[in-house]
Formats: sequence, structure tokens, C-alpha cells
Amino acid sequence: MFIRFLRGLALATGLAAGTAAATEPPILTVTIEGRDINQTLVALHRAAAGHNYSYVRQQAIDSRLVPYGQEVRSVRLFYFCNMEKMDRALRLDPRAAQWIPYRITLVETPTGVDLMAVNPAWVALGIGNPELWPEAEALKRDFLSILDEVTL
Amino acid sequence: MRGAGLLFLAACLLAPVTAAEPLTASKPATMLRAVEDITLAAANHDMVLVKDQPIDTALQKRGFGNPHVRVLFIGSETAVRWAEAADPLLLNLLPLRLTLVEADGMVTVMTDDFEPWLRDFPEEPAQRLLKAWRVELREVLDDYAWQ
Repeated sequence: MFIRFLRGLALATGLAAGTAAATEPPILTVTIEGRDINQTLVALHRAAAGHNYSYVRQQAIDSRLVPYGQEVRSVRLFYFCNMEKMDRALRLDPRAAQWIPYRITLVETPTGVDLMAVNPAWVALGIGNPELWPEAEALKRDFLSILDEVTL
Repeated sequence: MRGAGLLFLAACLLAPVTAAEPLTASKPATMLRAVEDITLAAANHDMVLVKDQPIDTALQKRGFGNPHVRVLFIGSETAVRWAEAADPLLLNLLPLRLTLVEADGMVTVMTDDFEPWLRDFPEEPAQRLLKAWRVELREVLDDYAWQ
């Protein structure tokens, strides 16, 4: 009976994960037209703070890999965090570190800036621990809200 | 917290190395020693420590418990240029992340899980890149384990 219950649970979890995985995009993206990367970074700072996240750092994609003067200026990584959310997720499963610290990548294009973030809900489905899913889902909503606010 | 760490460690030790996703390597060490060893292992494979993100001390300083978790980022210029050419969305994986989890005198080093990326980025250039990174990281982790 117990084995049947476990099999059922595994099947249900697998099905739920499979269904959700099919609907969760790996990357959350928005495009901002008519603004440069520095203007977008300012807006991103403001939006993250407004959602109760602290700024951690920003860096070029090739920071420390090439001399400072030769870093690519058109791709920047913006890191931010919320200690309570981090603490909660890591208590549930250390593999939650796969989305810590939180990050949005900015890519300057000829017409504006593309922003992208790995979808924590997609990562959580890959990890396969259902206890993490509500945390990741909430985080995804915050990411989308921050990205949305940056476009305003 | 400790329970989660021990469960994680047990899962890593029991899982066959070749089937483990994400990739992991464990050995007896302190967190500081593990950071030094992984930095050296990365350098042996032409990769640089880009950032040591001390999540453990950051949380402790703010009154939270010690999660015994730290994140390191390692990378190479080649990886960046290759990702830009293959699929810019893969820049989201760079610099490559290594999560260090300390439990019971062991430090387990874990990569991000590449399986979902391989599943959702099926184009040939992305597949080649992801598989190459996974091989490189496996070698770095093996190097760490054997030091």
C-alpha cells in the first residue's frame, strides 16, 4: 500500500513537473527601446529596491577575465538579493543556491536594452523538490514585476 | 538547516558520479580550504575565480543561521565569446557557478544542473557548448576531489 502511495506520489509529482516544465520558460525577458544600458541600470536599481531587494553588485560579463579597460560594455550582470528569501530557500534545499544571488543580465542593442533572467520556477522544477516550488514561484513573480517596472 | 545539508550530502555520496545531475564532488575539507582548492582546480583548467559569494557569512552577519553554503563563480574569456556566438541566452550561465555545501566535515561542490538547459536549448551550437562546459566542470570537480 505504502509503495503504491509512493509510486502514485512520484507519478503525480512527475506529471505535475512535466506539465509545469512545459509551460515554464527557461528565461524571462523584456526589451526596452530607446534607452541605453546605464539608464536601464538606474531603473533596475530603483525597481529592485522597490520590491524589497538589496543591490549586491554589477559587473561586465567578462569581468576579471580580461583587463578592466577591455571589458565588454554592452553586457552587464546586475546582482541583487533578499536575505529572508535566501535563508528560507536554503533551509529547504541547498540546491536553491542555483538561483542565488538573484541576477538580471542586460544586453545593449542598437535600439535599446534586452533584459533577461533565468526563471527560478524553471530551475526549481529541474531540482525536483516540490517544497522549493512556492519560493521559486514567488521569486519569478517578483522578477517579472521588476522587469515590468523597468520598462515603464 | 543541518538536516537539509546532511540529506544533500548523503544524496551526493550515494548517487553514482556519472548519473549525478548536477555534477558534484565531495571531500573532507573546511569551507576556506575548499575555496582555495577549487580556485586551484579551476586554474588548472584555464579558468579564473571571478567571484567568491560568501552567502554563509552574509546571512550570519544579518542574524540568520549559517546555511553552510557558498557560491563561487569561475569563468574564462573563451566561454564568454563562445556563448555570444552560439546563443546569447547562454550568457545567463556565465560565469559558471559552483555551489559549495559544508556538512559533517565534508565540502560538496556542485555545478548548476545542465540537463534542463540541454533539454530546452536543442540547437546544435548550444548543445555543443553546454556539453563542453559540463565536461570542463567535471574535470575541475575531479581535480578538486583529488587534491
